[in-house]
Amino acid sequence: MNAIIENHLTTNVGAIHQNATQNVPPLLELKRLSKIFTTDAGQVHALSSVDLVLQRGETLGLVGESGCGKSTLARLIMALYPPSAGEILFDGKNIAQSDKAERLARHARLQMVFQDPFSSLNPRQSIGRTLEEPLIVHRRGDKVARKARVSWLLERVGLHLESAWRYPHEFSGGQRQRIGIARALALRPDLIVCDEAVSALDVSIRAQILNLLLDLRAAYGVAYLFISHDLAVVRHMSDRIAVMYLGKVVEQAPSENIWRAPLHPYTQALMSAIPSPHRKSILGNKKRIILQGDLPSPLNPPSGCRFQTRCPYAEARCRAEEPLLQAADKGHTVACHFAIG
Amino acid sequence: MYRIILEHILQNRAAIAGLLLLVAVILIAVLGSFYLPGDPWEMANAPMLWPGDDPDSPLGTDIMGRDIATGMVSGAKVSLLVGFASAFISALVGITFGALGGFYRGWVDAFLMRITELFQTVPQFVLAVVLVAVFKPSVVTAVFAIGIVSWPPTARLVRSAFLVLREREFVLAARTLGMSDPRLILTQLLPNALPPVIVISALNIATAILTEASLSFLGLGDPNVMSWGTIIGNGREQVVDAWYICGIPGIAILVVVLAFNLLGEGLNDALNPQLHKR
Repeated sequence: MNAIIENHLTTNVGAIHQNATQNVPPLLELKRLSKIFTTDAGQVHALSSVDLVLQRGETLGLVGESGCGKSTLARLIMALYPPSAGEILFDGKNIAQSDKAERLARHARLQMVFQDPFSSLNPRQSIGRTLEEPLIVHRRGDKVARKARVSWLLERVGLHLESAWRYPHEFSGGQRQRIGIARALALRPDLIVCDEAVSALDVSIRAQILNLLLDLRAAYGVAYLFISHDLAVVRHMSDRIAVMYLGKVVEQAPSENIWRAPLHPYTQALMSAIPSPHRKSILGNKKRIILQGDLPSPLNPPSGCRFQTRCPYAEARCRAEEPLLQAADKGHTVACHFAIG
Repeated sequence: MYRIILEHILQNRAAIAGLLLLVAVILIAVLGSFYLPGDPWEMANAPMLWPGDDPDSPLGTDIMGRDIATGMVSGAKVSLLVGFASAFISALVGITFGALGGFYRGWVDAFLMRITELFQTVPQFVLAVVLVAVFKPSVVTAVFAIGIVSWPPTARLVRSAFLVLREREFVLAARTLGMSDPRLILTQLLPNALPPVIVISALNIATAILTEASLSFLGLGDPNVMSWGTIIGNGREQVVDAWYICGIPGIAILVVVLAFNLLGEGLNDALNPQLHKR
């Protein structure tokens, strides 16, 4: 088992190393990205200075509880809102500074699968039209070629060809989510952002969709930013995992590292929350942590470490000083005063 | 999608009744001009003939000897024309203001909604009277005046629908495809905001017909065109001796307005998915 993990790690690090030597920019890079929403109640700090890197063909899992800023992050990357501070570099280019043609080209390479399959399809458009829309907007092929592409997409996600003439209300949640994936795939993107793509689905359907996503990755080398609150699902999908808490990344490491040796108390708490008969082997000798209370309000985040209000190990230093992300191991960073050493 | 809506309309008794009445009025307006090609302003028979007195004037004549049946046919055409045309203008202006305000929000929305409020605070009928009086009274000015005073509710309706729709995930998905704003508005948002607009437009037609009748009654109708309101206005001094002069066009207005209200009601039920399960 350990050997497999080691192997997995080295291939990943190898790929990243290779990119670095060839001086190819990472596919997606977030630099000190912040988002503040101004509301009547005050300023909501949805994201505070987030740094993330996603390599080509890599799957980065992003976990955290509801309200921690995962969806805001996805929408910033999709340029649905502008960031308050920081930069988003896609293929080395700042997305805020792109002109119209660059923006359109980026939209083709960067697609998204949404959470709610009942809201993500236009109820007044046939499925065929919905899948053809991206090709029309990006002027890909003539009418015949587009129709052929739609048929290919439907087949690829395991739907009947007659589905093209049907409307969204005639499909189940799982089928609609597959249509959403087909739409994201239509332009052959380099990166698909999956924002809670399976959370709204039944467990039996969930595995189907996850396997479809894995198949597509194997076939087309597409990279995923896989956002979920479900650690088990993220582990199944991801090469690397980043854990978010209240608008900040608190720990980032290769998937198996997070699973084997979570360093941040919050990550350990998430691990404790997974119902499993083998918990002992996951957490080793560490005590099970059960979080008390709710996520503090992002209107007024706690001083020092954001997790100090719920952390079982919090001390005076945690209330005074904000911990920075530090390297604990190869490719493993954590933001906690006591996690290292 | 639209087939299902049609099925629901055909299952709704109010809608069918409204539709049948409407078809009847359209038939009268179209076929009537073949059977009664005369000028409604011309003296056709002895004055003050009661309906049934003379087979040549089945609905009687007014104090000037003008044939009421001919006038009714002319009035049906005017009412339908004014109703449809002004409801169309009202829908066009209302959708444009509501869509742009709801889609862009911010100062665009604030600006457009202040204009909408300006129109809402002035009494509709008074504004229509002023508009018709300032420009020359004619069918065209009546159509524009009624259209211009009746769009604010449509604008508010479309705006609120757009404010909700613009945050829906299918609209975000279309945005992430790089779709342009006009395309986004026309292909994604508008088709989903349209059903309540269709309902309000059916009711707007009814209101427009009433407003046109009122304007004509006040003598602000087209002087060359006989409308139902004109007949009522002309007959009001003989209402005690010859109530039929006011009564016949009055009943016609009642029937047409009822038809559009029933149709609007039926469309509302058919287009509202929550009511389908009942």
